[in-house]
Amino acid sequence: MHFRRGLLRKQVHALNGLSLEIADGDFFALVGQNGAGKSTAMYCFLGLLKPTSGRVQVMGKTPDLGSPLYEGVAYLPEEPHYHLYLTVEEATRYYSSLYGKRVPDKTINDILERLGLAQFKSLRLAKCSKGMKQKVGIAQCLIHETRLLFLDEPTRGLDPLAVREFRETLREIHQRGATIVMNTHVLSEIEMLANRVAVIANGKVVAQDELRNLLTLDRELYSVTFEANGVIPDYLTSVERVGNVVKGSIPKKRLYDFMDFTRISALPVHDCSLKKISLEDSFFKIIKGEGSQV
Amino acid sequence: MMAELLRANVLANFAYFRRSRLLIAFALVFLLLTGLTSLPTLFVNSGVQNFNSLQDIYSTMNGFLLFFAAGLGLFVVSSHLRNRSLKMVFTKPCSPAVWLLSAFVSAVAVTLLLNLVVLASAVVLSFVWHLPVRAGLLFISVDTFVASVGLIAYLMLLATLAHPAIAVTFALIFNADLFYDAQMWAQSVIRSGNSSLALRLLGGLFHYLYLLLPMVHAFGKKTENIYSSLRVLHGEWRYPLFSLGYALALAAFCYFSALFALQRKKHI
Repeated sequence: MHFRRGLLRKQVHALNGLSLEIADGDFFALVGQNGAGKSTAMYCFLGLLKPTSGRVQVMGKTPDLGSPLYEGVAYLPEEPHYHLYLTVEEATRYYSSLYGKRVPDKTINDILERLGLAQFKSLRLAKCSKGMKQKVGIAQCLIHETRLLFLDEPTRGLDPLAVREFRETLREIHQRGATIVMNTHVLSEIEMLANRVAVIANGKVVAQDELRNLLTLDRELYSVTFEANGVIPDYLTSVERVGNVVKGSIPKKRLYDFMDFTRISALPVHDCSLKKISLEDSFFKIIKGEGSQV
Repeated sequence: MMAELLRANVLANFAYFRRSRLLIAFALVFLLLTGLTSLPTLFVNSGVQNFNSLQDIYSTMNGFLLFFAAGLGLFVVSSHLRNRSLKMVFTKPCSPAVWLLSAFVSAVAVTLLLNLVVLASAVVLSFVWHLPVRAGLLFISVDTFVASVGLIAYLMLLATLAHPAIAVTFALIFNADLFYDAQMWAQSVIRSGNSSLALRLLGGLFHYLYLLLPMVHAFGKKTENIYSSLRVLHGEWRYPLFSLGYALALAAFCYFSALFALQRKKHI
């Protein structure tokens, strides 16, 4: 996938040999740095962009704008490019009506109530905050029972309460059997929700696996928490201090040295366990090229 | 399903027209100017003067309607394209064809309503000034509406192809009336003895541009006396019908061309 930009129509590669397969029922997360191509990939899935080579198939069909395929699809865009001249209620009703079914007032009111938008339903989107616009986007995604949800940075601009509520809703939808594809920078969100993850860098998928495989244990490092009396061994890395409690990592081969150190100085050890690799650690490793294809 | 989609889009477009500050400002400025220019005529108490005033006001208002209708077609497409909200429409089972049709239908519906308001105003003025309500009023109203249909579709096409400012400039410069006059000028110069190759080529270019570009009043030459006398002969009612045929053919061409362009745009 490439674009032509600027006066000289210079060719810019957005995606380069991106290959992804998302199974029915997956909660699939796309992660990557800014400009990695996550949103472009999503636009291709949605038919908003036609790939310059290769093909995209959604539920076995090529996505053509506005085709019947979208009856089972909902999309929450990253930027709130909505119909700003409509009010919150009108926009929710309009977007729901685009599925070809008239939605009862009660359903609209219920969803607005649930998302805390009921008191702003007569407010035009042009005057709404980014978070409120995002909630309108969420409302139009949730109003119909869709089989496939595309969410581009869904929690951007939402308050913490709304984030938690939205997360619970996504879990429910996923448990009902819907497939969810989500772009996000919030790795903790992925750890909580997704079952499969793809890391995109420079328009390519550099890693793609089950989330549980990315959250493994590092068998070469121990994570330790102990009370120090001032002296800290030089092989302790990633040191964090809270009062006299010190937390850090030690290499496996220095474990016995550490045990001797705490025993001789009679230092209480709170925790000593194999270090868990967080998604953040995996992500950094992959992006820095430390990890090969996972 | 199609009817529901059309209904939903048309209602949203009506909300756009009601709330577009640009369109409202355009309408208000025009009404103010028309009001100010017609104010002196309201104090004249002669039948002939009143008839001339009615004719002036009605022709100004119909001229405004043509501009306004073109504006409706232009802005309904360009504003949605420019604020990128169409991705919210096309990622639902609502195709560009349906959306474009609904944009056209809503602009035509608003134009029809405004035409009826202007016609009703002219009829009221006729009563106030004790003038006979002439059939020409209805004829001009129908003719203006039919011309608006073609114009709306043309501006919608231009809005899908270019920035609205470029679209307006193109529509103002490249229109059949202008090239008809240019063609007439070239022919008269050639007839007067200057038949250089450049002038003949220019004359040919003007002729083909005149044929290619859409006309506002397809039968303007044949109906111009109706505009001045507000009288319609029985046989002259066929011209709005012919114009309607032309406007519908133009609208169909513009619709499919705009659809082709819309489907190839990046709605991101």
